[in-house]
Amino acid sequence: MDDRTHRFQSSLDAVTFEVLRNALITIVDQMADQVRRTCYSFVVYNRDFSNALCDADGNTIAQGNQDLAAHVGTLHYTCKAVIAEFGEDIHEGDVFLINDPYSGGSHFSDTRVLVPIFHGGERIAFAQANGHWADMGGSVPGSFDVTARDMFKEGIRIPPVRIWRRGEYCYDVARLIAKNTRDPAAIIGDMDAQTQACKLAEREIGRLVRKYGVATMKTAFAEVQDYVERVVRNRIAALPDGSWSTVDYVDQDPAGEEGLIPVCVRMTIAGDAVNFDLTGSHGTIGSMYNSAFGGTYAGIVSGMKTFFPDIPLNSGLYRAVSVTVPDDTIVSARWPVAVSGFVMPFEKIMNSIFELWSRVMPERSLACAFNIEYLQTGGHDARFPERPFFMFYDWLSGGWGGRKGKDGLNVTSSCFGAGIMVQSVEGQERLCPVRVDQMEIATDSAGPGEWRGGVGLDKASTVLEVERAVISYFCDRERSVVWGLDGGLPSRPHGLWLEQNGVEQFLGAVFSDVPVVAGAKFRRGTAGGGGFGDPLDRDPLRVREDVADDYVSLERARTDYGVVLTVVDADLCEYAIDEAATQAERARIRAARRGRLAADAAHVAARYRAGELDILDAVRHYGVLCNWGTGELLPNSTAEFRRMMHERSARHWRD
Amino acid sequence: MGRTRVAVDIGGTFTDICILDEASGRLRVAKVPSTPDPIDGALAGCADAGVDLSEVTLFSHGTTVATNALIMRKLPKTAMVCTRGFRDVIEIGNGTKEDLWDAYVDNPPPYLRRRDRLAVTERIDASGRVVTPLDEAEVRELARIIRKRGYVSVAVCFMNAYASGAHEKRCKALLEAALPGVSISTSSEVLAEIFEHDRFSTAVVNAVLHPVVGDYALNLQKRLRERGYANDLLLLHSGGGVMTPKTVHHQAARLASSGIAAGAIASRYIGTLCGFPNSVGLDMGGTSCDISLVADGEPVYTREWFIEYGHPICFPSIDVKTIGAGGGSLAWIDEAGSLRNGPDSAGSVPGPACYGRGGERPTNTDANLVLGRLGGGLVGGGLALDAALARTAIEKYVAGPMGMDPVTAAKAIIEVANANMADALRRVSIMRGHDPRDFALIAFGGAGALHGAALARELAIPTVIVPPHPGVTSAMGCLLVDIQHDLGQTFLAAAAEADPAVIEAEFLRLEDEARERLAKEGVAPAQMLLKRSLDMRYQGQWRSIAVPVGHGLDDVAPATAAFQDAHQREYGYRRDAAIEIFRLNLTAIGLTPKAGLARHPIAAHAFAPQATREVWFDESERALATPVYWRDDLPAGAAFDGPAIVDQFDSTTVVPPGARCTVDEWLNLRIAVKGAP
Repeated sequence: MDDRTHRFQSSLDAVTFEVLRNALITIVDQMADQVRRTCYSFVVYNRDFSNALCDADGNTIAQGNQDLAAHVGTLHYTCKAVIAEFGEDIHEGDVFLINDPYSGGSHFSDTRVLVPIFHGGERIAFAQANGHWADMGGSVPGSFDVTARDMFKEGIRIPPVRIWRRGEYCYDVARLIAKNTRDPAAIIGDMDAQTQACKLAEREIGRLVRKYGVATMKTAFAEVQDYVERVVRNRIAALPDGSWSTVDYVDQDPAGEEGLIPVCVRMTIAGDAVNFDLTGSHGTIGSMYNSAFGGTYAGIVSGMKTFFPDIPLNSGLYRAVSVTVPDDTIVSARWPVAVSGFVMPFEKIMNSIFELWSRVMPERSLACAFNIEYLQTGGHDARFPERPFFMFYDWLSGGWGGRKGKDGLNVTSSCFGAGIMVQSVEGQERLCPVRVDQMEIATDSAGPGEWRGGVGLDKASTVLEVERAVISYFCDRERSVVWGLDGGLPSRPHGLWLEQNGVEQFLGAVFSDVPVVAGAKFRRGTAGGGGFGDPLDRDPLRVREDVADDYVSLERARTDYGVVLTVVDADLCEYAIDEAATQAERARIRAARRGRLAADAAHVAARYRAGELDILDAVRHYGVLCNWGTGELLPNSTAEFRRMMHERSARHWRD
Repeated sequence: MGRTRVAVDIGGTFTDICILDEASGRLRVAKVPSTPDPIDGALAGCADAGVDLSEVTLFSHGTTVATNALIMRKLPKTAMVCTRGFRDVIEIGNGTKEDLWDAYVDNPPPYLRRRDRLAVTERIDASGRVVTPLDEAEVRELARIIRKRGYVSVAVCFMNAYASGAHEKRCKALLEAALPGVSISTSSEVLAEIFEHDRFSTAVVNAVLHPVVGDYALNLQKRLRERGYANDLLLLHSGGGVMTPKTVHHQAARLASSGIAAGAIASRYIGTLCGFPNSVGLDMGGTSCDISLVADGEPVYTREWFIEYGHPICFPSIDVKTIGAGGGSLAWIDEAGSLRNGPDSAGSVPGPACYGRGGERPTNTDANLVLGRLGGGLVGGGLALDAALARTAIEKYVAGPMGMDPVTAAKAIIEVANANMADALRRVSIMRGHDPRDFALIAFGGAGALHGAALARELAIPTVIVPPHPGVTSAMGCLLVDIQHDLGQTFLAAAAEADPAVIEAEFLRLEDEARERLAKEGVAPAQMLLKRSLDMRYQGQWRSIAVPVGHGLDDVAPATAAFQDAHQREYGYRRDAAIEIFRLNLTAIGLTPKAGLARHPIAAHAFAPQATREVWFDESERALATPVYWRDDLPAGAAFDGPAIVDQFDSTTVVPPGARCTVDEWLNLRIAVKGAP
């Protein structure tokens, strides 16, 4: 230990401290077990939830280690919001509800149930169970309206309210909330499930209080936070002081002019604390892709936790991490700006932080991960005479960024929450009049690099017997394409293609309420991860194995990696490396690649339209962004994207 | 020597053998080192123990052959034939990571590479109707490729095959005709249940293991036959039953982790024998601790089970929770100065510091030795323990940094280990709603009995039972099991509207299949026992609870009521809401003839401690002069108060002050624990 690090000293004996530290985490884990077994929301079931114990002041004592990343660092804010609202008017037997993103929540869907825990008339803690409810009302099923500019299209805002008062159920309040959603019965079911999980925590805390005494427990509540703060500060203190900055982008402001929307992050390590300054980020935009402070803070903490994975989550961590951000930006939206799509800036923050920590800890480098995407097709199911409403609500996994010495993670859930489960096709086909024709790893989806990104997916579907059906897509990185790092290349743009009535159109990564008829086919893919390191330095043997498994095509092995393979026996997936041709091809690419990034963008777009260049060539080799359907050049976005590619990719290439 | 039953549990280091004399009920045990060909060690161990295989009526077997093959990826060349567009289901999985936060920790890769997953044109919809017919020409072309590449096993995995297995069946027939000698299996015959990843993954594990365990089982059976054993070899599976080599192709995947199930079964057997329908099994060895639970005489099952994360094996399996807490678990001070215990282990090399094999860091074994709870040796003195080395390690790594004396530090190490195990037990779901005072804790494995009493106190469990041979209890579990198949069928219906006649018909169909399977295993109809249950949930919930139902089902209402009660018990509440059925389950049991363990007359003949040892207990300020009994000296009916230590060949039992230990007629130690909170 040097003079910048300090040892934590518990005022409890060593055993009691460690026993209680673990016991408190176990309680949160028990809550999670119970929520998953009793929930109604399929989003909760697929693990979009979190649980915490908070102290009497609302600070987080323990949060579940398996919780969704996008909730991390927000639960103390919502607990404090309840305390601020109700003050001394909080009693044994009360249960509170809140989903307010303007009070530290994430978005309306994430609804938190809080139960105050008392001992001898004194409030000593709170249990909090947070789950993403399937519907919160608003203009569209699922409550994600990408056209929303303010909260009034989004869903019901729940400031801190009481749903149980001193052990008596406030039926009127619960009903007011439930009746503002599309599935009131399920909403009440989830309210019950989360309340009961908090009650379980209340009983467990009671057991510990009986065994250890209330004074010891209160000390433990405080000291487990002190302990984590100590661990974090020691880790930070062991790193060099310094300041690093970067920028990532949301695709567009639908209400503004064409151009990428910057999210700026500067990280400063000073002594045993770290500050994140988001100054310079774009103002709020005219869609729901804004984040209020809670969601932004979650992105910062989650990005950081990825580099300190073993550090437990509680307010001790949050004390060592400060944030500077001016008001009314895309990462600090205030009421009533729409924020249901907070995950879009959230993921940009998280990936920026991946890059920043990669500078500090190169051995844990991480290029950009694919972006979360949600697809909603809803309407009436004409398979049944009563024409019930159906909702095909779908999300996919994709690739994570290349790493130092390792390819990226293949087909993994997004960094929004790597615990989110991709749904079963068979389950979907039972519930919805939509057939899935393909759900497969997408060849060439991985961003090329010495260590390539992980691979993404392709999913194609056919709409069956429906009436009055519409499709909406809630996605990003159609233009701000998943980037490579340290010379690595981008992966591929997101976006959805719809074919009906004999016409196929590209609808892009963000659209709402497009009518679809029976027989319509739609397909979309997720990006792979960005590449890490120069793809021309990739071991040709690895490229050969990737081709044998169809992760990379024979053609792109040559164009992206400069590796020329010959087919030995296609039946056996056997290929041979043509060493001489590979050397020549790599030299040719080296000589040409900087020039391509500076080539006339309009000309590149014309070649794309003419079919001479495909979408991967345009993005990876020329840094050119188009409307991928019409081939029309996006000049502002292209200029920004090329600047970004220079910084992250070209600057690191050897000639 | 008369007719005997033999159970052999082959682990990574040791092969345990249990021999039960049918006439007397007398149990003998042997422990021999495992050998590279595990069968050699098993047979040598039997020979050493004087087993005449021609006198053996039943030879049952738990093995890690399947688990090792999976983990080491020593798998036969296997292919998958999938619906076109869906060849990556086993790689896509559900997208989650086991380690959510560490981006440098990867899930294990799938058991088959992408190039080994082939696609064919066909499609069936969710109702079982053909959307696209099976392209038989493509199947023939795939047969050519399969032959050329030399695959020995093929899993045919088509979408919605749980609704109709017709295409899978046809594809299998075509491949079988074209590929003699290649083992072809289908997802619908392995597990006819919805959710493609669960079903395909199970089918693939089955396909890669079938040749491995099939060959192994036939080889073992042949070698047993050569030595005079006339019956079928019984293989223990993860569901807690056995199967014969004849049905390996149906459930080879269930042989993964058969040893873990054995411990849980033994624990259930002992609990039931002692009059405890509710029990917790604590199987604590050198590196980890396996926790299992029995409620109302039935083990708790799970369908969320895997050897490696992301590759589920969805047969119902006994739910065993494993945590990194064993005798060799390391105690350490973390960077902020808190005392931690495990999950890292010193293993057997270098082992705990007191082994004197170069291990420097303190383990639970070292702490138990410093506290005097362990004596100077393990394995009947075969392994000497050096208390000075243990003390040095604890001083250097724990006591010194924390400013404690070594004894206080050793106590702290054990308390933290016990608390970790207690936390794990609290997470065993079924504990919720059960009163711990109705439970017994069955403590076994080499280290279980050292910690059992303290854990029972922490959990308010009044009784600890230590079986006669704690170190080979798992092998004993293999002795006492029946043939078991588990069949299921996805069945979605609102409970209030479900037609009992339709459910009854589905059950009858499953029962026909079950009888056919049991008959194939040589079970006479009178020995067949078929148990039904319904998986039910509130309509809109995602998880279900299995509710037992009887034969001749004519009313769903009693099952609905039972579901409400079960939900109340497990989760603390019930709802006034619609309930639905999700799945029909059938457990088919082929009863094997039972032979009981010998009962020893309760005779209060004299027994006396062999020695006295200075032992520190949790609550004592100083070391207590503690009588040390040799287990073999203790007759049925013996009773004594703690503090006491019971040493035996393969384990040590701690009886703390305030507890009372009695020896029952099966020679179990029963410790009545007082002072439970």
